[in-house]
Amino acid sequence: MAQFMMLLNVSGQAPAGSPEEMQEILKRYGDWSRKLGESGKLVNGAKLADDRGRLLRNEGSRVVVDGPFSETKEMIGGFFIVEAENYDAAAEVAKTCPHLELGGTIELRQVDNM
Amino acid sequence: MAHKQVDSLVDHLFRHKAGEMVAILARHVGVRHLDLVEDVVQEALARAMRDWPFKGIPSDPSAWLYQVARNAALDTIRRRATRARSQDDVVDLLYTRLATEGDRPFAAEIADDQLRMIFVACHPAIPAPARVALTLKTVGGFGVGEIARAFLVPEATVAQRLVRAKRLIADQALPYAVPGPDELAERLNSVVDVLYLMFNEGYGASAGEDLIRFDLCAEAVRLAEIVATHPVTETPETCALVALMRFQGARVPARQNADGELLLLPEQDRARWDRDWIERGLSFLDRSAGGDVLTRLHLEAGIAACHAVAPDYASTDWTTIARHYAALVTLDASPVLVLNQAVAVAELDGAQAGLAIAQRVADAPALRDYYLLPATLGELHRRLGHNAEAAAAFERALALSRAEPVRRFIKKRLVEVSEREPLGVDNA
Repeated sequence: MAQFMMLLNVSGQAPAGSPEEMQEILKRYGDWSRKLGESGKLVNGAKLADDRGRLLRNEGSRVVVDGPFSETKEMIGGFFIVEAENYDAAAEVAKTCPHLELGGTIELRQVDNM
Repeated sequence: MAHKQVDSLVDHLFRHKAGEMVAILARHVGVRHLDLVEDVVQEALARAMRDWPFKGIPSDPSAWLYQVARNAALDTIRRRATRARSQDDVVDLLYTRLATEGDRPFAAEIADDQLRMIFVACHPAIPAPARVALTLKTVGGFGVGEIARAFLVPEATVAQRLVRAKRLIADQALPYAVPGPDELAERLNSVVDVLYLMFNEGYGASAGEDLIRFDLCAEAVRLAEIVATHPVTETPETCALVALMRFQGARVPARQNADGELLLLPEQDRARWDRDWIERGLSFLDRSAGGDVLTRLHLEAGIAACHAVAPDYASTDWTTIARHYAALVTLDASPVLVLNQAVAVAELDGAQAGLAIAQRVADAPALRDYYLLPATLGELHRRLGHNAEAAAAFERALALSRAEPVRRFIKKRLVEVSEREPLGVDNA
């Protein structure tokens, strides 16, 4: 079984909402990841820090570190690793994530275990 | 892999925690900085929304939220002080106070702060319509949109009322304190009025499809119990308020049928009344008898109790109810009460006796736009077989009512009386 990394992009600004609405959103994520966990497809997940991190590159003879990038329009909020047969099956899993309905995007990458 | 799930949050946890955190932080930061306080609480909840889907819920969500909100408050205060390049003593003081505060306050402290916040939000200096909104927003943790929907006013109106109220709190330096003995009674009256209004708006929903906005009722009860269980504000009247709300609220599950049609008392399935609410109401009714005062709320709670404990409509204690209404009318000659008295008397002594009382207030200016006046007159005429009068009254009631379930109910009655023989028999 292949593994896929779901990278959840969020816009820099958290959506405004009432406490009740925010709890409701959390509940939807919770229901989703619980179901996924019960199905045995969820391998791992983690939150990434609220910045876009650092970008390293070799410039001439030295390594340049760019960042932190604070002015971010989009950033990866966190990721889940799920098990699936192939991209199509992984996409089916990702499609059920409430993240999409809430305006975020999901980037799907297969983990190369070869 | 340790991945705790975000599925075990108590209902309304965020709403209630928001209210608590606002109340606690307002004491530390000062209630004149209510905007700052609300912002940092919002920030804490937003942070939870970003983190918890991936990390799962912390073992103690309340403590987590409070710490994040407190740290956000510290950051904001520090940033403001830096920006103003001021050696502002006040800022220093606030900062020190907040930074040295323990990780989380005790339950009794929270209750104290919530009571302070309620007294500020219900302060008589604040315009009446803003009091309910401010109470719901601050102690209740409701969003502006939710308040607007509950009261059927535009969001901008609610937002504007809140802005003005907060400015007024700052300008008049309203104290963040439970009032002293000299003004406690008057200030508590204002609190009781606000909570009573909040409950009634939820219970009697003046318009729209959603007849019972139970959230408002539940919030009013929750706040009323905070007040009625605090040593300083546990009075016969606040206990009577809770009792009244509990009895009325107990009937909510039975007030509409599956199609959303309004059901009157005789038609309600009493098995669906909430026994826990009734029990709680009875316990507060007991406590309300502690003093030697008999307030309007006591009488209203007494009436509601008669309904709540009656196993069926036929065995309702109308004698006691009619007596309570008679006493109520002497306390407060409000035409609404007279109208209710008419209903009780109609049950006790027949529709004709009820109609005689109702007709005393038929021309009351205060009831000119009150659909329940023509609806009640129509119902009494209907029982007496006065079909033409009943139809005319129901027509008027229809023109005045905005809530859809109520309108459907009146239309049904209207069809009934219109389809009868013109010279209907007396079937009262």
